[in-house]
Amino acid sequence: MGVTTLLRKGNLSYTRMSKLLSELVGSGLLLELNGDKISKYMISDKGTEFLAVYHQFEDFAQSFGLKL
Amino acid sequence: MALPAGMEMISDVLQFIGVFVSFSIAYVAYRGVRRIHSSSLLRLTAAFVFLGFGFAVEGFVGLSQVIPNLPFPTMAVVAGLLFETTGYFFLAFSHALDVMMSKRMGVALLIFPVISFSGAQLIDILSTLSFYFVLYGVVETLYSYARTRKPDTLLIAVGLAMISLGTFVQWLSLLYLNVDVLLLLQIIMKEIGLLILFIPVLNFAVGRVRLDGTI
Repeated sequence: MGVTTLLRKGNLSYTRMSKLLSELVGSGLLLELNGDKISKYMISDKGTEFLAVYHQFEDFAQSFGLKL
Repeated sequence: MALPAGMEMISDVLQFIGVFVSFSIAYVAYRGVRRIHSSSLLRLTAAFVFLGFGFAVEGFVGLSQVIPNLPFPTMAVVAGLLFETTGYFFLAFSHALDVMMSKRMGVALLIFPVISFSGAQLIDILSTLSFYFVLYGVVETLYSYARTRKPDTLLIAVGLAMISLGTFVQWLSLLYLNVDVLLLLQIIMKEIGLLILFIPVLNFAVGRVRLDGTI
């Protein structure tokens, strides 16, 4: 997925999105695929695992009426 | 505030079941803190660690009345209740923070009148505060259920309602010292409430993610 699509879906400013993307790539949750002109991003295995765990704990917290 | 020996033993066993349930919930919540760094889960962990210690102290105090050679100071009763009240406070506090974050009016605390602060006894005040905090938790959990329509959330609201009934009966038992059964009744109500709170832990344990966070 390219940055433009992410910006549109995330409704974030370019600066904010760039910072977020570099953090996610740095932590290994996203993979950066460098093309000729633009970079594309895809979720890594670690990111998929994190999302699964996150949803489990989100479910647990919601049971107690809490948001994560 | 003494029960007959048989009932005392039952109430102690129930207190230790409370310890197990509270620490189990705290453990799962703590795994969540480690894995996804959630502050909500941190508050939930704190709440159930305090509740667990509260039940443990109350259980050991009860044992000291059954086993003669196990001395416990009177202040231990107050310490146990203080732990328990702090646990309920953290539960209410988590909801209060949710209320503030979602910028809706947190008027639920104002709906319920303070029942009694006239008694100078610390135990009386702590029991009243516990009732107050859990009741707030019930209202906020029901509000959350109205939003999410998750059956587990409704169950937790019922569990918290049972605990709040238990704390109310505990408060009543301070007024009617000669009615022994109130003490046992309050523990049974709290235990049923806690066992209901255990359901999300069971759901979590049988889910795809193991307690160590791996899939």
